[in-house]
Amino acid sequence: MILTIGVSLYVAFIVWYFSLVDASAYAQIAESVPPAMREAFGIQTIGTIEGWLGGQIYTFVWLVGLGIYFAYSAAGKIASDIENDRMDLLLSFPVSRSQLLLEKFASMVLPLVLLNVVVGGVTYGLVLAIGETIDPMHLVLAHLLSIPYLLVCAAIGTVLSVLVNRAAVAERAAIGLMFVLWLVESAVGAAEEFSWIQYISPTHYYSPTPVLIDGTYEVMDSGILLAGFLGLLIVSQVLFQRRDI
Amino acid sequence: MGVIELDGLTKDYGDVLANDDVSFTVETGEIFGYLGPNGAGKTTTIRTLLGLLEPTSGTATVLGADVHDEGALIDAKQRIGYLPAHLGFNEEVTGADVLDYHASVKGGDRRDELLNIFTPPVERPIREYSSGNKRMLGIIQAFMHDPELVIMDEPTSGLDPLKQEEFNEFVRNECERGKTLFFSSHVLSEVRRVCDRVGILRDGKLVGLEDIETLMDQGGKRVRLRTTDEARTELAALDGVSDVQTFADGIQFIYTGEYNTLLRELATHDVREIDISEPPLEDVFMHYYGSAGAGESNQGVHSDA
Repeated sequence: MILTIGVSLYVAFIVWYFSLVDASAYAQIAESVPPAMREAFGIQTIGTIEGWLGGQIYTFVWLVGLGIYFAYSAAGKIASDIENDRMDLLLSFPVSRSQLLLEKFASMVLPLVLLNVVVGGVTYGLVLAIGETIDPMHLVLAHLLSIPYLLVCAAIGTVLSVLVNRAAVAERAAIGLMFVLWLVESAVGAAEEFSWIQYISPTHYYSPTPVLIDGTYEVMDSGILLAGFLGLLIVSQVLFQRRDI
Repeated sequence: MGVIELDGLTKDYGDVLANDDVSFTVETGEIFGYLGPNGAGKTTTIRTLLGLLEPTSGTATVLGADVHDEGALIDAKQRIGYLPAHLGFNEEVTGADVLDYHASVKGGDRRDELLNIFTPPVERPIREYSSGNKRMLGIIQAFMHDPELVIMDEPTSGLDPLKQEEFNEFVRNECERGKTLFFSSHVLSEVRRVCDRVGILRDGKLVGLEDIETLMDQGGKRVRLRTTDEARTELAALDGVSDVQTFADGIQFIYTGEYNTLLRELATHDVREIDISEPPLEDVFMHYYGSAGAGESNQGVHSDA
């Protein structure tokens, strides 16, 4: 809830900021930025509202910020219950471990969806308010396609959460891992012989800026994300099933 | 068939052998005390019974459900109440919220009745609770769905003496209603007042399994008397006398021998004052633990057994 408000306020600031500045100035900035950074921050067509939003909001907040946030919050879920002895009571209930894990995970899906719906609506309203236009379908797509990506992030956190006994360790590992995955993906894009590394990063399979600009996306990418999400969830189930509490 | 059956239960953590080939049976309707000093492995046994830990070898059943069989254990858990040693309630919600949540999962028919006996401030958030209040809330959640078996890990720790007494009475009543109660404790005097039978655990091994009465009998009597110096030396040399303490004009010892022998011996001396009483259970316990100071276990020596 607080997160949704916070992100909405950030969107408002970014959109307002865009309305203040001369668009052609941005195009110059974009050209002066090295290609690797352009790749990392998604600064391609910074001079249009779509490109501006894609770079400032969807790449920064969705791909990096929320990716890390959902991995972090998932990482704390199981590990903190074990650390605080809450798991003892929860597992004395007549419920299976796999059901418990699924319910824990499900508790994150609602805020994840809500955040997309609310911020998506706010963004659209704000863009219209400053007199710009944006294709609503593109905006919806950018949000919709972010869901498989964020689910993968949350699943990565869940795997860490069932592996480790201490919440702080799992959370730090999640933040570090997500950040490294994102950096690696952006950095190796330019280097030919290491380019295969980018395929292990979930950030490779979600690119909000092109979706916003002209609605292009790969169905395959979302498929890979969903498959990865299910795979990670199964891994966490197996690990949780077998471990001592 | 017992309510709880342990068969060669072993849990090896690598550096510590927490349970070493533990076997015993708890029968329907009994109050079973699981005794041992801190770190003896009591909690390990309890957490294995609830399926939280996987035994290294051996097995156990609870209400007929094998602890290896998650499905069977889930069914059994509907008829089990559990009071863990550390109560991990959500600190931000109120006691009433906790009980609502527990009731929604397993039922809470007896909630109001229990709230009359145990009185945690249910309208206040858990973070303001004292350890005694948390314990009472824990007792309520363990009994509120009227389970057949209640497993409790150190149930009275944190309770004040008055509430402890109410708890003891409550536990005896529950037993009369046909419930089976299993609880661990390192406070021996309280176990004696409620338990029918005890198992004694030391360094992961079951070293005693007795009726509480047998345990007390084996512990002998504590004899304290004022007499002459000469009588003191002779009494101290008597068979069955141990733990002798002498003071100004008297002597105190634990007597485990034949009563007639002691009385005949006493009759030959000038006894000015005598007090024969039950020894504190701590002393009885020492009997199982071996010599003096045995309260501290020496892990290294026993863990490779």
